[in-house]
Amino acid sequence: VTARPQAPEPAGVSVEELGRRLAERRYFAEPGLLTAIHLALVLGRPLALEGEPGVGKTEVGKALAGVLGRELIRLQCYEGLDAGQALYEWDYPKQLLHARVAEAEGRAVGPLYSEPFLLERPLLRVLRAGAGAVLLIDEIDRADSEFEAFLLEFLSDFQITIPELGTVRAVQPPVVVLTSNRTRELHDALKRRCLYHWIPFPDAERERRILRARAPGLDEAAAAALVESINRIRGLSLVKRPGIAETIDWAQGAAILAGEGARWPEALQRSLGLLLKDQEDFERVAGRPELFPDR
Amino acid sequence: VTRRAQEHLHAFMRALAESGVAAGFAKHADFLRSLAQSPPDDLTGLYWRARVTLVTDPEAFPTFDAIFDAFFGTGRLVVREPGSEPASVEGETAAPHAGDEGELEPLEPRAGTGLHASPLDLRGTRRFPRASDATREQLRELEAALAEALPRVVARRLRRGRRGRRLDVGRVLRAANRSGGEIVALAWLRRPSRPRRVLLLIDVSGSQRQYTADLLRFAHAVRRADARAEAFTFGTRLTRISAVLATPDVDRALDGLSATLEDVDGGTRIGASLAALLANGRFVALARGALIIVLSDGLERGEVATMVAAVRRLGRLGNHVLWWSPLAREPRYQPVTRGMCAVLPDIDELAGAGDLESLLTLVRRLPQTTARPRGAAARMWGRDPQPIR
Repeated sequence: VTARPQAPEPAGVSVEELGRRLAERRYFAEPGLLTAIHLALVLGRPLALEGEPGVGKTEVGKALAGVLGRELIRLQCYEGLDAGQALYEWDYPKQLLHARVAEAEGRAVGPLYSEPFLLERPLLRVLRAGAGAVLLIDEIDRADSEFEAFLLEFLSDFQITIPELGTVRAVQPPVVVLTSNRTRELHDALKRRCLYHWIPFPDAERERRILRARAPGLDEAAAAALVESINRIRGLSLVKRPGIAETIDWAQGAAILAGEGARWPEALQRSLGLLLKDQEDFERVAGRPELFPDR
Repeated sequence: VTRRAQEHLHAFMRALAESGVAAGFAKHADFLRSLAQSPPDDLTGLYWRARVTLVTDPEAFPTFDAIFDAFFGTGRLVVREPGSEPASVEGETAAPHAGDEGELEPLEPRAGTGLHASPLDLRGTRRFPRASDATREQLRELEAALAEALPRVVARRLRRGRRGRRLDVGRVLRAANRSGGEIVALAWLRRPSRPRRVLLLIDVSGSQRQYTADLLRFAHAVRRADARAEAFTFGTRLTRISAVLATPDVDRALDGLSATLEDVDGGTRIGASLAALLANGRFVALARGALIIVLSDGLERGEVATMVAAVRRLGRLGNHVLWWSPLAREPRYQPVTRGMCAVLPDIDELAGAGDLESLLTLVRRLPQTTARPRGAAARMWGRDPQPIR
């Protein structure tokens, strides 16, 4: 029986402190998300984040790695992802070449299943990262559901057994962030092992702060007008409601056009392609000037 | 923590578990550890600690909020901020939990319900006609088309193959032993593909009467093309018919079905039947990652909220959800009933199929259908036919 790895971070980082440090990295989290991150650190549990695309799920992992001063290791999931691509593989061509060269030179071949022939994949790299790491398992809903079952063992013990080498255990347990767009439902068994948080669209105030930080050159009034506009657009029933990522792109685009002398509502309309990536949505929004208030 | 507070917390967690929100000792332990290791300063802190550790489903947030309110007073007022709820699609209510569906009980007639005492046999059984030679010919064609068209997924286990992505070192070395240590040929491992699971949900209610036999024959053909395929029928109750369909001959399979099915040509309770499917963990596992095909006209009686919630969940569980309705064969058909209108955003195709010929057309189109991005039905039929309320 292995004991659950203890909390990686001293419980010293309070929720408020965490919020400040994330804000320094230009990530403005709501209290629920801050509490979730805080508890993930204190309890040493993986954190499962769901939310609409573009609300900043992946950014949490990146910002957190910055705050903790740890390496970020990212496992992007996709359909057909298997253990070999997630854990480790043996470099067979290299092994064969090595054997042939040794043979030709009349040397002993030596152990073939050893360190030089091991290809580290993200999960193994996480365990071996000396000072601990932040593991970002991104878009797990894209992987097959069998892959979740495989993750269960890794996430509860933070160890991997390589038959030829033995068991690799985490030097320091990693901080794990899982994200999902909820295109399919995750297994309960996986969610049970994680802390869970749904990231909502930000309120107007938070979105203004995000825009001011991420789209330099945008003045206060313009940011307010843009947020007003985005909230009206999100209220329509669109195929794809724009997330924060698209909003930032849009703000940057509009700011550039405005800098070149375009009038503000017009700049918004002309850069709309950065916000809406669907022809039908585009048509629904483009012909309605009341959606674009002046600053 | 005082004893009183402890009892209060445990009562809180019990209340949550009873209403189906948070279950499991591990989650409770997480919640208590979070309180011990990081005591909250105020009610807001307590709220977030509880929600993050106990709840794993955004649809359970409203229930959780209500119970939290009941136990800790006006906590929600402190916490609630605009947009803090998971975004729900405009104009739709939050999906209720399938397990709470109180109406499910009458779905299972038991001895003593009075049903058997009735002079009329309310349970509809029906004998299906033999398949004609022409029908059998069509079924053969359908089977061949299915074998071609059913989507396939990459299997997880490696098999030896002529070529592949990975070297089969063991086999290479054993072969090298035979040729005096010289490697003559490389051996490879490949990942073979297997058919994606198919889940058929067949409406056998009265409104589908003229198509029932062909739909069941279709299910038989699917099962022959893919032995892992699963099929359920529903009218007023849910019946799993996969085992009966495994009978090799189509007529004998249908005879078996007429003995099994008790609700043929009766009323429709699509929502309750699908909710019954989703309330069963084993059945949910069958839907996960599957190609789900609903064969129904979608004419739900009464409240459609249960049906909409069930279809939405099916959409998240399955790889694709296709809805094939006999009504949609009509060129002027529009999904304007409240039920079809509301499920449209959650399905990937709404197309017309009733007899074997139309089914064959749709089967041949399957590769294109499953290659499209999710949610294609809403785009195809126009997203905004306003539901008649």
